[in-house]
Amino acid sequence: MSLIEFAQLLYDSEMGTALRESIYAFPIVEGLHLIGLAFSFGLLMFIDLRLLGVFLESEPAQELLHSLRPWLLVGFVVTVITGILLFIATATKVILLPVFYIKLGFIVLAGINAVVFELKWGRNVDDWGAQSVLPNSIKYAGLASLVLWSVVIIAGRLIPYLNYE
Amino acid sequence: MSTLELFKAIQTSDFSRLIGSQNHLFCATAQLFHIAGLILLLASIVLVSIRLLGIGLPNQSLPQLAKATKWLVWTGLGLLTVSGIVIFVPAATNYEPNFFFWSKFILLAAALVVHVTLYRKITTSETPNPLIAKTTAVLSLTLWFSVAFAGRFIGFF
Repeated sequence: MSLIEFAQLLYDSEMGTALRESIYAFPIVEGLHLIGLAFSFGLLMFIDLRLLGVFLESEPAQELLHSLRPWLLVGFVVTVITGILLFIATATKVILLPVFYIKLGFIVLAGINAVVFELKWGRNVDDWGAQSVLPNSIKYAGLASLVLWSVVIIAGRLIPYLNYE
Repeated sequence: MSTLELFKAIQTSDFSRLIGSQNHLFCATAQLFHIAGLILLLASIVLVSIRLLGIGLPNQSLPQLAKATKWLVWTGLGLLTVSGIVIFVPAATNYEPNFFFWSKFILLAAALVVHVTLYRKITTSETPNPLIAKTTAVLSLTLWFSVAFAGRFIGFF
């Protein structure tokens, strides 16, 4: 099955059609996607800024990491689920847009950065988290996270605007 | 002068023509600044609320947290206002009959009132009354999320 056939299948599915045709469902899913973003990207932004040493620099980084991680992950799950629903409802249109693939590509890059950080540093945060100035490699991971996820959001927000024929 | 007449005057102003004469990516850029502002604002409210609700950051000083996020809240509101004007002005009359447009600004007014009274007051305390702290967080989160939801709804109705 080709990508176009798969997208058409999702688009024509009961759920895809219902989401598209309901007056309230689509904007509610859009709204939840945004709230999910405030928790996921929003809280991650504070962790990244702390890693860079420009936010709450006198506070231990591990408290921020420990406390925000569960809420950040809840936000991420909401963002992903609502994102999948939005994709199902608009699949045939969105797969034609290069910006959609840019978004997906940067999600992969940001995800790799997050996993590498988690494996290399996240597990032993208690060993280094109390320092106010962190090692450069940790700073770079924070900067990469901030930049990569920002590109994801910019690409995502541009989807409806690059729909021009 | 009715609201519709006022909105018509805004839409036909020179400033509006100037914005309207830009290409459509200018409008998209305004939307990018609008979402950037919203994320700075909502994320700050979420962060402080986590502390107020007692569901995280237990060792974090509340006044320090509020102080660290204060400039992000106001930068966010600044970005939202400027980009919001750019989005609104060239299509002002389209917004006039929109229920969610008016709902958004009523909710925004309520959110701002809570922000500069209850929220500001409670976040100056190192050890706030837990009940008042939780009430403030719930009220503040509900209002700001409602503003965001109403804003997201405008374009669909």
